[in-house]
Amino acid sequence: MSEPHLPDLPRLTLPLTPEQARSLKLGDTVLLDGVVSMTAGLPVHQRIAEALAHGGELPLPLEESAFFHMGSSCRQDGGRWIPNYVNPTTSSRFDAYMPALIRGLRLTSVGGKGGMGAACVEAMREVGCVYFSLPGGASPLLSEGAAERLETGWDDLIEQFRLSRFRLSGLGPATVAIDAHGNSMYANLQRRARERLPDILKELDERRQQASNASGPAAG
Amino acid sequence: MPISYEIVRQVARDLYGWSLKKVPDDTLAALAEARRRETHPASQRTLDFMQAAARKAEQEGRHACSDAGFPTYFVKIGTRLTLEGDIRRAFVDGFADLVETIEPPILKFITHPLTLERSYMGKDMPIVSFDVADGADYMDIVCSPKALGSGRWADLKVFSYPTIAEIEAYIMECVLEAGSQHCPPVVIGVGIGGSFDNAAKLAKLSTLRKIGTHHPEPMVADMEKRLLDAVNKTGFGPMGTGGDTTALAVHIDYSHGHGFVPVAVCFNCWINRRTAARIHHDNRVERLE
Repeated sequence: MSEPHLPDLPRLTLPLTPEQARSLKLGDTVLLDGVVSMTAGLPVHQRIAEALAHGGELPLPLEESAFFHMGSSCRQDGGRWIPNYVNPTTSSRFDAYMPALIRGLRLTSVGGKGGMGAACVEAMREVGCVYFSLPGGASPLLSEGAAERLETGWDDLIEQFRLSRFRLSGLGPATVAIDAHGNSMYANLQRRARERLPDILKELDERRQQASNASGPAAG
Repeated sequence: MPISYEIVRQVARDLYGWSLKKVPDDTLAALAEARRRETHPASQRTLDFMQAAARKAEQEGRHACSDAGFPTYFVKIGTRLTLEGDIRRAFVDGFADLVETIEPPILKFITHPLTLERSYMGKDMPIVSFDVADGADYMDIVCSPKALGSGRWADLKVFSYPTIAEIEAYIMECVLEAGSQHCPPVVIGVGIGGSFDNAAKLAKLSTLRKIGTHHPEPMVADMEKRLLDAVNKTGFGPMGTGGDTTALAVHIDYSHGHGFVPVAVCFNCWINRRTAARIHHDNRVERLE
């Protein structure tokens, strides 16, 4: 069901195929259906990386899946797990592990907020994977797109860290902020801001000078 | 009549609870104003979504963000008051009360900095700063939850005899370092001068000032205005995916010091969680926001 505040967005069902991922462009904004695995926990990243490196078992199937950096809280309702709330968390703090996860699991989409670093962008290009930026701090609306928690793995961890599989129903707006061709909105914006910085500092100098002239000669 | 442990415990609990489920009015107004000015359609949509989510949080008693962070309290005690009971303990117990009673529940966010173990409580939790208000017969308490999203981008550098240009360049470097990461549009707090710890506290307190207010001294107010324009020329935009609005406000304060000048910069994410209450000498509680 489309939310009234997001009437016109196209829908995409997760997990994507690598071909679907490669067809998406930076800035494409969609609502997400289908199934996603999520965690907000560093230990889960460490355990997956460890399992990939040494052939260990994963509690849930993650091959060619959608893997999102999100925290969640659920309540039990008639034998089903219904979300109290979900929200993206800062993806860059998992940068040390994500290239191995993206390659080892051949992930086709990653989600979160704030983006990931250059090594992740390169791994995503290799396997055909996009990064969806989700709005942080807008939990009351965003949570409406998370229909149900299907199962969890590594239940020894705290709730938001557990590897949790969710069925989605229009999660979003989700914006393609890193595509499967090596392009990152975050890298582009950072580069552009760096390019603009000399002019920004020059304008600060000019306005400081104007303010100082307007207030008369400085004392001392 | 003395201000009691019980009333402080209750106010500590309520302030943290309220702060999680409401985006302050000044912040909502600033988001609406940013939406009017924003020229990028995608960023306009993001700002619309943020405002709608914030309204829903307040109307339906929902968490504005899933991450409750940890509570920080700033307490100003009027010197004409008397206190009864363990006032610092009241904040610890009020925080514990909220954890037990809030619906939907909050998750474990209190993190041991060395082992990364998580809990609902911990050493020095919640973070409480005390100050006094000369001549006042009330206690003011501000609560502001803090989480990793915007918390990790704070920075502090100690200069010796800096020019204002050097200070402003450093602030801009902090803004570029945070980039898209801190859930913009943010409120930026800057503390300049005094001692190392004082500058950090001034920066934090500056984020708590209402958006739309300026420092009373024209020299500092001018600095706030030109830095806000400068930050919004970087182009990171709402949620860091491009746009005109990277910051809602830059708030600066300073203290006299010595030749060394600490400059602290910190950020509050767009929900800018903050609540405040005044406990009067008769234990009457007035919610300020």
